[in-house]
Amino acid sequence: MSQPAGERSYQQTAAASTMHYLCAECGAKVGINKGEPIRCKECGHRILYKQRTRRMVQFEAR
Amino acid sequence: MPPRRAPAASAAATAPPKPARASAAAPAEEPKPAKKATDAFDELLQTYYKGKHLTDSINTVEDKWTLLPAFLKVKGLVKQHLDSFDYFVDVDLKKILKANDRVVSDVDPQFFLRYTDIRVGQPQRMDLESDAEITPNECRLRDLTYAAPIYVDIEYTRGKQIVRRPGNFIGRLPIMLRSNKCVLYNKDEREMARLNECPLDPGGYFVVNGTEKVILIQEQLSKNRILIEHDAKKNITQASVTSSTHERKSKSYVVTKKGLIYLRHNSLNEDIPIVIALKAMGVQTDHEILLLVTGTDMVYQDTFAVNFEECSKLKVFTQQQALEFIGARAKKSRQSIIQKRTPAREALEILATVVIAHISVENLNFRPKALYLAFMTRRVVQAMVNPALVDDRDYVGNKRLELAGQLMSLLFEDLFKKFNSDLKMSIDKTLKKPARTSEFDAQTLLANGASAITQGMNRAISTGNWVLKRFKMERAGVTHVLSRLSYISALGMMTRISSQFEKTRKVSGPRALQPSQFGMLCPSDTPEGEACGLVKNLALMTHITTDEEEEPIRKLVMALGAEDVTLVSGRELYAPGSYIIFINGTCYGLTRYPKTFLETFRTLRRNGKIPEFISIYINHHHNGVHIATDGGRICRPLIIVENKRPKVTSRHLKSLAAGRMTFEDFLRRGLIEYVDCNEENDSHIAIYDFEIGETTTHIEIEPFTILGAVAGLIPYPHHNQSPRNTYQCAMGKQAIGAIAYNQFLRIDTLLYLMVYPQQPMVKTRTIELIQYDKLPAGQAAIVAVMSYSGYDIEDALVLNKASVDRGFGRCQVFRKYTATLRKYQNGAVDRIGDVKRETNAEGQVVPIKKHAALEADGLAAVGERISEGEVFINMQSPVNTADTPQLLSEARPLEEYRDAPLKYKLADPAYIDKIMVSTQENEQTLIKVLTRQTRRPELGDKFSSRHGQKGVTGIIAQQEDMPFNDLGMTPDVIMNPHGFPSRMTVGKMIELLSGKAGLFCGKLQYGTAFGGSKVDDMAKILVDNGFSYSGKDFVTSGITGESLEAYIFYGPIYYQKLKHMVQDKMHSRSRGPRAVLTRQPTEGRSRQGGLRLGEMERDCLIAYGASQLLLERLMLSSDVHEVDLCESCGLMGYSNWCTTCQSSKAVTKMKIPYAAKLLIQELLSMNVLCRIKLKDKFPAAA
Repeated sequence: MSQPAGERSYQQTAAASTMHYLCAECGAKVGINKGEPIRCKECGHRILYKQRTRRMVQFEAR
Repeated sequence: MPPRRAPAASAAATAPPKPARASAAAPAEEPKPAKKATDAFDELLQTYYKGKHLTDSINTVEDKWTLLPAFLKVKGLVKQHLDSFDYFVDVDLKKILKANDRVVSDVDPQFFLRYTDIRVGQPQRMDLESDAEITPNECRLRDLTYAAPIYVDIEYTRGKQIVRRPGNFIGRLPIMLRSNKCVLYNKDEREMARLNECPLDPGGYFVVNGTEKVILIQEQLSKNRILIEHDAKKNITQASVTSSTHERKSKSYVVTKKGLIYLRHNSLNEDIPIVIALKAMGVQTDHEILLLVTGTDMVYQDTFAVNFEECSKLKVFTQQQALEFIGARAKKSRQSIIQKRTPAREALEILATVVIAHISVENLNFRPKALYLAFMTRRVVQAMVNPALVDDRDYVGNKRLELAGQLMSLLFEDLFKKFNSDLKMSIDKTLKKPARTSEFDAQTLLANGASAITQGMNRAISTGNWVLKRFKMERAGVTHVLSRLSYISALGMMTRISSQFEKTRKVSGPRALQPSQFGMLCPSDTPEGEACGLVKNLALMTHITTDEEEEPIRKLVMALGAEDVTLVSGRELYAPGSYIIFINGTCYGLTRYPKTFLETFRTLRRNGKIPEFISIYINHHHNGVHIATDGGRICRPLIIVENKRPKVTSRHLKSLAAGRMTFEDFLRRGLIEYVDCNEENDSHIAIYDFEIGETTTHIEIEPFTILGAVAGLIPYPHHNQSPRNTYQCAMGKQAIGAIAYNQFLRIDTLLYLMVYPQQPMVKTRTIELIQYDKLPAGQAAIVAVMSYSGYDIEDALVLNKASVDRGFGRCQVFRKYTATLRKYQNGAVDRIGDVKRETNAEGQVVPIKKHAALEADGLAAVGERISEGEVFINMQSPVNTADTPQLLSEARPLEEYRDAPLKYKLADPAYIDKIMVSTQENEQTLIKVLTRQTRRPELGDKFSSRHGQKGVTGIIAQQEDMPFNDLGMTPDVIMNPHGFPSRMTVGKMIELLSGKAGLFCGKLQYGTAFGGSKVDDMAKILVDNGFSYSGKDFVTSGITGESLEAYIFYGPIYYQKLKHMVQDKMHSRSRGPRAVLTRQPTEGRSRQGGLRLGEMERDCLIAYGASQLLLERLMLSSDVHEVDLCESCGLMGYSNWCTTCQSSKAVTKMKIPYAAKLLIQELLSMNVLCRIKLKDKFPAAA
């Protein structure tokens, strides 16, 4: 392995990763890229929550 | 097992004929209720209230307490805070503006700027794009300040014309939540929910930079009142008065010295004989002075007469001589030097404005002030003759409570004055310029000072340091972070009173429980330890007054037939049978019919002609009628009794229950009145109806209101030993439970929540009033009082494993972690880095282990489990953050970044509950990560009942090993009976009995103080259901299967889980980190510190003679260090070489603690030389 994947430059992945967040006010799904201002595109509210992950999460029921 | 605890809970829900359910449904069905207030108090207006129908007969004796919810609806628990803040915003702000309304220029005498009005707007957003209304919860989440803009209207000269400009912004004022400027004001439950706010939250605090800050109530001695004290040790009697006006604060004394009386003040270099002081104030003849001080009383005259000798010895006979005498002893102020006043002028100035400053001297009319001084002297003379006539500084009537509003007004006044002087300076600077391009417009300068006001307010509230240069006031710790440990802790904080006394002083007086606290301050709720008795709490019905206009009262006093006190001589003033009328401690009028005067005055107040908080009482010791209109007095409502009958009748209570009357109507109709501590002394108050006699003037609304909100949680507190109630007051604040309806919307630094909270089986009226049953903190555990195994000694509890499995004591811990992406001066910004990846054994590219939880945005996945060392915010900060340009060679590129990740540090894993991304006021990105842990009780977790009976889990026993009763039920908790005899918490036993009875009749029982469900009734219910009247059950051992020899006291007791949990405290270390400087192990659990062998442990080892153990513990396991020591010079060298002797001849190695080596070297650096001399302990030959 010559170059591990993690060593890629910062910009390369930045464009690719548009993450979606939920607006705290109106509940709209907001796509935000790195470096963009944090604001809901529907209502202009400035609090966003990260969506729950799609990964599998296992709880220990005790 | 489950059907056991379940009936308790479900019984609770189904118990009464569903008044609660009905009210909850009602607003939902109606489209829009007619009345505005559809909050929790709505229940009160329903047809059924607490299971009572309108048509049910209401007995006065029984149902007086229904006034209480009505009182709390109007006043609320934190109403004093809100009232005082509202008063500040609506009234005081305008007063401050009026007092400082002109800004003039030294340069241009034509120029002026005048403030005409001041207003506070609605709380606003400070974002660039929007200034819409902001909610408190948004401020909490985004670390903003919940503040509203302050606007002033001004008029000023521009050139030759006068311009008026309304609505100029001069700063932002933090707004108290739920005050009348808050967006939550008068919102009902649904509207509150829409604003993400809890309807049960009391409000009364501020949100500054995202943290909730409370300004605690401050207790002080009352201002502008004479206080007589006697020091037996020095044999000094003194009268002191702290004058406080908007301009000045000063303290004046009238003291005795060797039987003579003097005036003492800071602005005077020495004490002035009182006769001279009075002469200087224009009371020239000795006869007049004598009459003003003593009246015609021969004993007083004899005591006072010596003072005239002193005066004539000093050859002072006229006012002019007296003034010169005082002027010669005055401290030279800067102004007097500038103006070159004569001593007499100087004395006149001091007497008029500084001494007893709150009595104003108009047109050099010294008569009122001379009278005041004479009266002070008279009080001293009285106290000299009769030492019993001194005042008690701990008496609650002599105290005033300072609230948020007063403190904010002090702060604002100071900032506003500074704002004005800054404004004046910048105006002068502009006007000084000879040629200006455009005409000077002062309005443009106004906004410049706005940030000073905004930041001044913010800083004071967020740090708690009140620094006012003008009054030389420097107070730290005025504000506190609102404790959100539980609903009760937040509520308890809002009613807390902190005293200005020093904690270290060992006097019992200020700490003792004062009889005058009755009904005003809670007798139980005070911390243990150093602040004991100094920190107090308000009782349930207490109200604190705000300032009331004094002028109308003065007019009224005259209208009621009083004589003007300045027009009479001392002979009439102190004639037997005539009473002086004091308004706020200042003598004002004279009446010969004090009783009639008092009664007329009270009648007027009861009829609502005078504000209800003005108090009046007669003091027969110095023949005075005292009227108080000032703010900060503690008072409470009482039912008026006339002609041996309470004025509140069942008819009134019926209309109250029907919603036809409110608490204010009761006040307006003169059925109820507010009585302050002094007036209370003038009344005869019955507690119960049957106690009403000939002289009774009032009757209590409810006796349990003498307790505060926190002590009100305790069932049957009147059966407990009193310190137990105090302990519970401390522990109730640590109980884990529900915090607020919006608890899952909040992101707090640390938040404890109970997973399955239950309301108590035995509640109290207070619990209903403060709605603890809606936000409970505890669970109704079935308790068996018996011994079980050896793991229950010293208050340890035995828990049932099955109960724990089903959720007993289960709680969640939320922790907040914050990161801000900072913007630096040089343009560099923090950023969120990428996930680092590696190739694993199978050749797949996977994130490195530390980054396993991260998603593409560099933040952890919501819901992911994180454990120690894992990164949840992969932040990176620029290496070059210097804002000054550097040399080209040194400058590092802006693109170079350093990892600054937020890692999870705790040993126990947690789940990411929530990640919030937002921006702060300065447009920096703010990321808050909330982690969640769910904890089940484990060995060592702390539990407590509501009776100051705390204990830790000693063992978690298997259900099959637990004892069971004849229903087959096993208890949740087994408590050791040794907890009872010495603690005498009988209330706990009755709680169990009432709770058990409640289970069978399907009702919640009451354990209200001085009332509640009766033991006899409870026993009856138990017997009717086939149980023993004593609450004891027949129990079989789960281990042996044999029945126990004794019947076991068995039933539900409300248990609280306290925040002290083993998981947060357990700690061990073998080897670990060391401190850099001393090379000793670090200290504290958070730094993985070592376990200290302290000095007392060391003493034990010395005494025992375990020298080798000592050596190991104190040196070898700690900071052993090998040094090269030169035996010839006794100094340390290195590498087998002594630098002092320049040889290696006598250098030997030895081991000493590194701290010792450090000490020697530190001493050396201070020119203290230590030489180490080595000797053989056991010489080889000798």
